[in-house]
Amino acid sequence: MKSFRGWSLAQRCIAAATLTCLCLAASAQGFALLGQAAPDFALRSFSGTNVRLSEDRGDVVVLTFWGSQCDVCRKQLDMLDRSFTTYRSAGLHMYGISVDDDAAHARQFVAAHKLGSVMLEDPAKDVARLYGIDNLPTTVLIDRGGIIRYVYRDFGPRDEVLYLKQLRELLNE
Amino acid sequence: MPVTTKNGRIRNRPSMATSVACAWVLSLLVVTFCSVSHGAFAADTPATVAAPPAAADSSAPSARAKAVAAQVEAALAAADGSVPGAPATPAGTAAGATGAAATTAAPGAADTRSLDEDTQQLKKDVVDLNRDLFVLEEELLFPANTQVAVYVSMDVGEFFALDSITLKLDNKEVTNYLYTPREVDALLKGGVQRLYLGNLKVGNHELVAFFTGKGPDNRDYRRGASLKFDKSIGAKYLELKIEDRQRKMQPEFEIKDWE
Repeated sequence: MKSFRGWSLAQRCIAAATLTCLCLAASAQGFALLGQAAPDFALRSFSGTNVRLSEDRGDVVVLTFWGSQCDVCRKQLDMLDRSFTTYRSAGLHMYGISVDDDAAHARQFVAAHKLGSVMLEDPAKDVARLYGIDNLPTTVLIDRGGIIRYVYRDFGPRDEVLYLKQLRELLNE
Repeated sequence: MPVTTKNGRIRNRPSMATSVACAWVLSLLVVTFCSVSHGAFAADTPATVAAPPAAADSSAPSARAKAVAAQVEAALAAADGSVPGAPATPAGTAAGATGAAATTAAPGAADTRSLDEDTQQLKKDVVDLNRDLFVLEEELLFPANTQVAVYVSMDVGEFFALDSITLKLDNKEVTNYLYTPREVDALLKGGVQRLYLGNLKVGNHELVAFFTGKGPDNRDYRRGASLKFDKSIGAKYLELKIEDRQRKMQPEFEIKDWE
């Protein structure tokens, strides 16, 4: 750290700004699909049926990537499930995609949480890779035209209001 | 500003806290600048994200818009009475003050009709162009001489509920397809699905298909079928056929040349 003491204020500012920009650039890579057509996939659900994303074209789709060891994911899934129950009749589909390494943990999680939305398993993490997921929970909102409109890479207590606002906006289109 | 340190020394440099605060202020400014200037950070600002489809493909729509605008102008010019050769409307031939109102109303209707026709023509052109491009792409990627296509059909399906098909060509997995209930329904209604399209050189090859699903009594069921075939010059079409064998109360899987 001694070497930094010799730096002037301007140098420190530039270094901090550069680091911030690099961090932001790295985090922005996950948004590469924003505004583009959502990549199609087919996954098996925990109930046994298969789901293909392209079959929901014309409806609003929420994809949320979760892990059974992630507490925030649990809270978010509960919140999203409430929204799903409310707006299901308006053309909302919600899929929770598990990226657990151990499928047994994910199954236990799904069994313990009686969620109304469809939970899918992605054991090979092909879909997670396809969507560039590098953080849990990550939520992707897809509009009726199949375009990725919003991506959230975290979940906070204030996000619920924002989610609802954007969901309504997409459902009204 | 001179600062006295704990050791009693006076230094002219700002303290670490001041430096960090300044750095953060600067980085915040940079972030603000980036979010305004760069579209990649648009996800953090929902207001700017609200219209990504328009931003996703800006060049093509603008060209199309120009073409449509040109056509609209042409249509308007054609509908205008001053243009020679324009279709004469009954209102246009009417004279006098009472006819003035009609002359404004009737060309408006003609304009709308003309615009509608132009729009339909444009749509048709786009569809035709898209079809031509698709055919061209298929011909380029899968030339008729080396093309091999595998289709799936299903009959009855009383003893087997299809879940997935894995296809191996010359011991190499080429596709693994999961079927949704809708797709199975479509197959049961007589639909035929193109499962695989690829290229193969002339010679002997082997196709192996693994069918996974629920068999009789709703038990997990996995069966395989294989076919050795000779690929000659020209396209090769193969069919995976799933049928019910009533006598054995079992499903039957067959791969055959599609005539």
